[in-house]
Amino acid sequence: MTANTESPRARRLLIGIGLAFLGIFLLLPLVSVFAEALEKGFAAYFAGIAEPDAIAAIRLTLLVAAISVPVNIVFGVAAAWAITKFDFPGKSLLITLIDLPFSVSPVVSGLIFVLLFGAHGWIGPWLQEHDIQIVFAVPGIVLATIFVTFPFVARELIPLMTEQGRDDEEAALSLGASGWQTFWHVTLPNIRWGLLYGVLLCNARAMGEFGAVSVVSGHIRGLTNTMPLHVEILYNEYNFVAAFAVASLLALLALATLVLKSLLEWRFNYHHGGTGH
Amino acid sequence: MSIRLENIHKRFGAFTALGDISLEARPGEFLALLGPSGSGKTTLLRIMAGLEFPDNGRVCFDGEDVTGLTVAERNVGFVFQHYALFRHMTVAENIAFGLNVRPRRQRPSRAMIAARVQELLDLVQLGSLGQRYPAQLSGGQRQRVALARALAVDPKLLLLDEPFGALDARVRKDLRRWLRELHDRVGLTSIFVTHDQEEALELADRVVVMDHGVIEQVATPLHVYNEPASAFVFDFVGESNRIPVQVRGGKLFYLGQPLDVPTIGADGPSELFFRPHDAAIVKDDAGAIPALVVQVRPKGAGVRVEGKLIGIDRPFEIDVALDEAPEPGRIIALKPGHPRIFPVSREIDG
Repeated sequence: MTANTESPRARRLLIGIGLAFLGIFLLLPLVSVFAEALEKGFAAYFAGIAEPDAIAAIRLTLLVAAISVPVNIVFGVAAAWAITKFDFPGKSLLITLIDLPFSVSPVVSGLIFVLLFGAHGWIGPWLQEHDIQIVFAVPGIVLATIFVTFPFVARELIPLMTEQGRDDEEAALSLGASGWQTFWHVTLPNIRWGLLYGVLLCNARAMGEFGAVSVVSGHIRGLTNTMPLHVEILYNEYNFVAAFAVASLLALLALATLVLKSLLEWRFNYHHGGTGH
Repeated sequence: MSIRLENIHKRFGAFTALGDISLEARPGEFLALLGPSGSGKTTLLRIMAGLEFPDNGRVCFDGEDVTGLTVAERNVGFVFQHYALFRHMTVAENIAFGLNVRPRRQRPSRAMIAARVQELLDLVQLGSLGQRYPAQLSGGQRQRVALARALAVDPKLLLLDEPFGALDARVRKDLRRWLRELHDRVGLTSIFVTHDQEEALELADRVVVMDHGVIEQVATPLHVYNEPASAFVFDFVGESNRIPVQVRGGKLFYLGQPLDVPTIGADGPSELFFRPHDAAIVKDDAGAIPALVVQVRPKGAGVRVEGKLIGIDRPFEIDVALDEAPEPGRIIALKPGHPRIFPVSREIDG
């Protein structure tokens, strides 16, 4: 066993730098969000949150997450399943495409949908004829969010399912289980912690996405503003207390995500380490 | 149940995994598929199970064509090389899985399933470990759980992929004997895949030796060992010495000199094979093979003599009695017993 070979001074210095960095770049902004939000007391804070436009923004954010997260769970599991359990032509292309939303700027992601569904877009005229509004409306926001968040679940599952291989599924099938029973009783329990982890990250991003949503939203107050967009509008109007009050909710979401993520990591490693392969 | 394979072909891309395999296992038989890696033995087993489908050919169970049936419809027990136990289920839940997933009308009652699980746990000698998780078991115990789980659904056929591959040598030997006893008790037609010739010869009623996707020989262990059908089989099922020879007019020539060995076979370049324990050191070097002794080591009741064949610089190994042991550095005359002669057709491994 090797003991810590650094001198106590070097150790203190390194820890000090680490803590100072965390303090300045993470803790300070986080504290300032809550400090600004509560600057004029709790009444003003809650007034900022309870204002109708803020409520509408919160509701829209929850709605968008409630649609895009389940869609991406289904997509992510299906993609990971296809990639890890079958061999087919175009497999490596699919793996590359899954990463696309991570490598493209969110603004570009938003613009794609404007180009597709906007008034001057490819199918915009057809949509107008049929009186269907996608861009600058809720459907556009949902589509952009799905696009931006779709790698999270798949990326989490592919390495996990690759490592686990196909034996368990084949064993279940050989024992007479149907495809659905195999998925439900064998595959899903094997991937549950990884899946939850992916869902958590997906959800955090779905609620916090700004760039892509900003492009397709149109910023109509009370109608197409999500929480991040609402924060920006309030801030630009010098309504700092309300802006930070809504921002503090997003910050709380981030904190809750972090705590859950740590818990999951702990459970996940425990289960992973315990299989003794 | 009997299983019959007719003209099975299987390709993976440009690679021919199986070329025209026909094979039959009789009811209650214990069959070994023996071959090196890449010989197609596991693919063949998976085709019998319905985990893989042949490009051509038929699979018949008791004369009935099951080629198109999936693994779930074939009712076979399959034991995976790495067991594939469900890690989030207890041992008892693992064993009960095949019964629990049945449609409600065919599913036994809870009490009946519990009784069946206990019966199987006792059969595989894990009576009290039902509530453990797979991670809490040793390799040999996991193997037996996998076996119990496969038997739970009353399969017509038991298929085992390298059943002892992941175990250490001592557990392997115990489990081998135990599996043979279990087979005799349950009376199920069983087929297992192995690359270990000792395992195949010790365990199976008949051994199917495979190489490069074709069957080289199907015979009893004794027959395979004593009457190998090809140079590959001779080399693969036991230790062997291999000497290049010429067959001319029913006589055998080694380096131009006639060898005193009974010969059958067509004229042409051939190879002479014999086992280390079938060779003798002779006084008269006429018609014998000259060899240089390099090393003498104890082996069993006698000694293992190793060295080089003079003239072709090839190694040899023979086993002789202790009192016949030559000194290292001496030149001896070898006479092969029970030799087999195969015409040279293609290069073989080893």
